[in-house]
Amino acid sequence: MDFDLGEPAAELRTRLRALIAAHIPEGYLGAFSDDPADLDMAQRFCKTLADEGLLTVAWPTEYGGAGGSVWEQTVVREEMWAHHEPRGAQYMGLNWVGPAIMAFGTEEQKRRHLSAIAAGEVIWCQGFSEPDAGSDLAALSTRATPDGDGWRITGQKIWTSYAGMAQWCVLAARVGEGQRHEGITMFLVPMDAPGITVRPIKSMLGPHHLNEVFFDDVPAGADAVLGGVGEGWAVIRRALAHERVGIARYARCERLLSALGRELAPVWDHLPPALHTQWARALIQVRVARLLAYRTVRAQETGEPPDVMASAARIAVTQCDQQVAELLFQAIDHESLDSGATAPLHGAIEDHWRYAQAATVASGTIEVQRMIVSKALLGGRS
Amino acid sequence: MNPVLPEEAVEFGASASRAFAALGGVDAARRAEETPSLRAGEVAEAMVALGIDELDPRADPDTLAAAAALCEAAGRVALPYPLPSVLLRDGSGLPFAVVPDTHCRVDHGDLFGGWRVATLDGTATTASSDGAALGSRLGPFVADLQAGDALPPARDDVALHLTLTAWHVLGTADRAVELAVDHVRTRMQFGKPLAAFQAVQFQLADAAVAVAGLRELAHFTLWRLADAPTTALADVLALRVHALDVARSVLRTGQQLHGAAGVCDEYDISVLARHVQPALRLPCSAERTVAELAAVVERDGFDGLFPHGGSAVA
Repeated sequence: MDFDLGEPAAELRTRLRALIAAHIPEGYLGAFSDDPADLDMAQRFCKTLADEGLLTVAWPTEYGGAGGSVWEQTVVREEMWAHHEPRGAQYMGLNWVGPAIMAFGTEEQKRRHLSAIAAGEVIWCQGFSEPDAGSDLAALSTRATPDGDGWRITGQKIWTSYAGMAQWCVLAARVGEGQRHEGITMFLVPMDAPGITVRPIKSMLGPHHLNEVFFDDVPAGADAVLGGVGEGWAVIRRALAHERVGIARYARCERLLSALGRELAPVWDHLPPALHTQWARALIQVRVARLLAYRTVRAQETGEPPDVMASAARIAVTQCDQQVAELLFQAIDHESLDSGATAPLHGAIEDHWRYAQAATVASGTIEVQRMIVSKALLGGRS
Repeated sequence: MNPVLPEEAVEFGASASRAFAALGGVDAARRAEETPSLRAGEVAEAMVALGIDELDPRADPDTLAAAAALCEAAGRVALPYPLPSVLLRDGSGLPFAVVPDTHCRVDHGDLFGGWRVATLDGTATTASSDGAALGSRLGPFVADLQAGDALPPARDDVALHLTLTAWHVLGTADRAVELAVDHVRTRMQFGKPLAAFQAVQFQLADAAVAVAGLRELAHFTLWRLADAPTTALADVLALRVHALDVARSVLRTGQQLHGAAGVCDEYDISVLARHVQPALRLPCSAERTVAELAAVVERDGFDGLFPHGGSAVA
């Protein structure tokens, strides 16, 4: 038994922290703020990471990546999330769009897209959820109809993160009369194609996170299909498999819990005793969430089916995110209503609380995870 | 990075489970309540046959892992025997227990005449038993001992005892989920098994996730004890707090899903819920343990996996 992630992972963590310290100012809360300079900073940092060969740590060497181990990939996820994801929206292209193109794409698609993603030059959005297809994604109804050699796409997507800033969309649409998984086809569509309208959804998360995207007879070439006509569900499964490992939310929770003590040091001893013990319990919850996430990564590494463990980890990680958010608010009390640079921890606590409210919904609801776990427990009954 | 218990420890735990099944499983706990001398007889003999006399958790990480697996197996059947205490005997053969600051109260304290006991801070003394136990429903074998002479501090043994006891609690919690699963699959209400109700499914999912998390933390704590024993106190206290929190929650779920049967001793869940209480309350319950943990973390930090400059406040 050994919980040491290994020397390469430790060195990578040190290197990433040094780069973040050098390029990301204290108090940076991510690319998606009301200040466009924050997005510019993320774009510049992606270039820096690309120049250092650190943007594609997870990618195989044959596609210009570092061929990093699952533990090095874990370190990247943790350090980026702990420091408010200074890659901005590009993580999606790096984490799964690029790998999906490697797995399912044509040589032309690989040539066109992979080098741009690896260079930190392009933002992708993901057109999956629809108004009537959320957790039940196979109910999607956006339709692609043949048009000469290519296609015309019509339908509506919703909750689409970064659609307003993305250059490309990986889009799930239905071809033919098939039901459920049959006929689902993935398309790679430029967001400046005629017929695409993006409407931001105002939310407590802040700008850019949520949008509606309308596709009105949008043209797409035959070369836009990723993975074959009617073969889209395999691509979606790959994307969802990545999302099951999920965001390393515990890393930011731990960083904030650590920082809280220093932030409140002058009054720490005068906090209600219950807050001290809740703080200690939160540290345990965060550690447990991290360990469950590591168990999932280990399953990936050894080739075990990770589904149930991944769902268990997601339940623990997302619940811990919300518990920590509430504890932090309890600790800073009335200052929880402040935001921005003058708020406690430069507004990081307030930002975390708002974002945590979506943790148990984003990338698959906690109810779906519970269904997966209980089905495994009860032998198929769910 | 390998979070998995060594294969030898897993095999030893499986052997122990077979031996405990031969004693009757949870029935051994029921029988011991009727006949307390069963513990010093049949049960102790089974322990010797398992080789616990040669099992010193202080020896090396693999032996500690084997001891942990043994304690987990014992927790699964509410084995009426103080395994952590016996595994941590000193050179003169005195069993060891961690006791409350103000009260020398020990589970199975009646089983041996002489003891070595310590409080959470490691302050140790001898202690003696007059052979009487409380005999209560929640502490059938708990005894109040007489404290004796001061002994050298026993901080390391305190950490090991708390850890092994947490593994016992893990076994109880894990078994409680299994019992609940078995019950809801067979118990029919409204023309279908309870397992068909999503409210039931979700409670079981949450309980299973809680136990899975406790198991990972229990593994991690064993590694910390071996890798950084001098700074592992916070880790050990964290494991105890979490074991107690998870066990209370999971046992509650398990009993609730059994309906009225959840409090009936002919069902294993009820016996497990009663017999685990001394482990949950001695040397102190979760709230006092977490207060101690908060103080230790504020002083020493809580790094270990993901250093962020320490959680220490001072």
